[in-house]
Amino acid sequence: MSEAKENGGGKASPSAHTRRRVLRAAFTAAVAVTGTTAVLHPIITAGESDAGKTGSGRSDAGSDRAGSAPAAAAGAFDEVYRGRRIQGVPTGTADAATTEGSPVVILIDGRQLHVMRRADGTYLSVANHYQPYATPLDTARGAVDVIGGAKLSLAGGAYHH
Amino acid sequence: MYTRQNQKNMTSAQRAKFVRAVLKLKSKGIYDDFVRIHGQYYVSDGDTGLRVGHMTPSFFPWHRRLILEFERKLQSVDSSVTLPYWDWTRDNAKTSSIWASDFLGGDGRRSDGQVMTGPFAYVNGNWPITVAVTDEKYLTRQFGRPDRPIGLPTKADLDKAIAESVYDTSPWNSTATTKGFRNRIEGWTVSETQGGLLHNRVHQWVGGHMTGATSPNDPVFWLHHAFIDLIWLRWQRKYPKSGYLPARPLAASDPQHGRVVSLNEPMPPWNTKPSEVMNLQNIYRYEEN
Repeated sequence: MSEAKENGGGKASPSAHTRRRVLRAAFTAAVAVTGTTAVLHPIITAGESDAGKTGSGRSDAGSDRAGSAPAAAAGAFDEVYRGRRIQGVPTGTADAATTEGSPVVILIDGRQLHVMRRADGTYLSVANHYQPYATPLDTARGAVDVIGGAKLSLAGGAYHH
Repeated sequence: MYTRQNQKNMTSAQRAKFVRAVLKLKSKGIYDDFVRIHGQYYVSDGDTGLRVGHMTPSFFPWHRRLILEFERKLQSVDSSVTLPYWDWTRDNAKTSSIWASDFLGGDGRRSDGQVMTGPFAYVNGNWPITVAVTDEKYLTRQFGRPDRPIGLPTKADLDKAIAESVYDTSPWNSTATTKGFRNRIEGWTVSETQGGLLHNRVHQWVGGHMTGATSPNDPVFWLHHAFIDLIWLRWQRKYPKSGYLPARPLAASDPQHGRVVSLNEPMPPWNTKPSEVMNLQNIYRYEEN
């Protein structure tokens, strides 16, 4: 996961940077309450290495959310997949109005991947409108499979309902 | 009355005329309006609100109306042009003539999926992508989903779906409990590792833009949906007594009330009722060979 910090560094927009700091705080809370699980382990590693790189990264917003963070962080992720940094930022620490019922906001190299839910609980993203995925992580990976190295458009959310 | 041809039977002059008309709509900005409309009315069944285009009974009539509108725009440029269809059960090779450089162009290149051949290749200057979920300006494809290969649907797959005599059933969405012809053709009812079925699988097989929210960026979208329209017509002929369902507006107590369109309710953005497009044989017919 050491490549996560390199990949996430230069490209992200200022707002994505803020979200990342919030995300780190949420992960810290998750460690304190739930301990390390197989699912969370790589995420926490990435978060800690990123925090170490930038020094004091804790945000006020993150501290405020600490109480509810463990549950929300269950679907969270932060990894490098095929050269792209993919993150699931718990809803409530980012713009909840645009999450369409997803427990996380999905970011690819700091830009939001807009998603929709199916009636059976699966996910569709704007990158893949004809194939559902079971989890936000699968959705993010599936989007990278389709878009490759292309940057997500800031207008992406306008192109489904 | 005019005829929609199987694309494999088009002469090179017909191919050239079709391509010219599509490029003309693109240069006038009309083409991109269709890309936007398709995305705008894509409402998923896990979200609230009216679904007219996908995961819904009006999947067939809504797309019938959409491609008719597109065809009218093509004909405003050249009155002799009609929409061709792509029978992907037969022309299922990556080297089929549909992908030739005088028609739709070929597969995307390995490195970035960019289509490099034909009139819709960015490098040829007439097909910049402007309405998209990524910032790239070039059309992309990835035939067969190379990282987890899938094939195009077969005739057996299609026949099995057409054999379903009921048009659609409650809960009128994309879940596995929704039986009927419409949900089978739309193709939601399999796992992600296998890819979708039929309609969905074709979007996935072409890959690139065809996979996403702005799938009409790839002109093959129209040839795919012309065939989907022909499939509906074949089903209508096979089961003349099995009409569109739901026939009447759903009761207020139905969870899908206000979310799906019954036979005589209007479909935005044209306010066309499904009943108005059930039989368009006085407008066009399909050349079936």
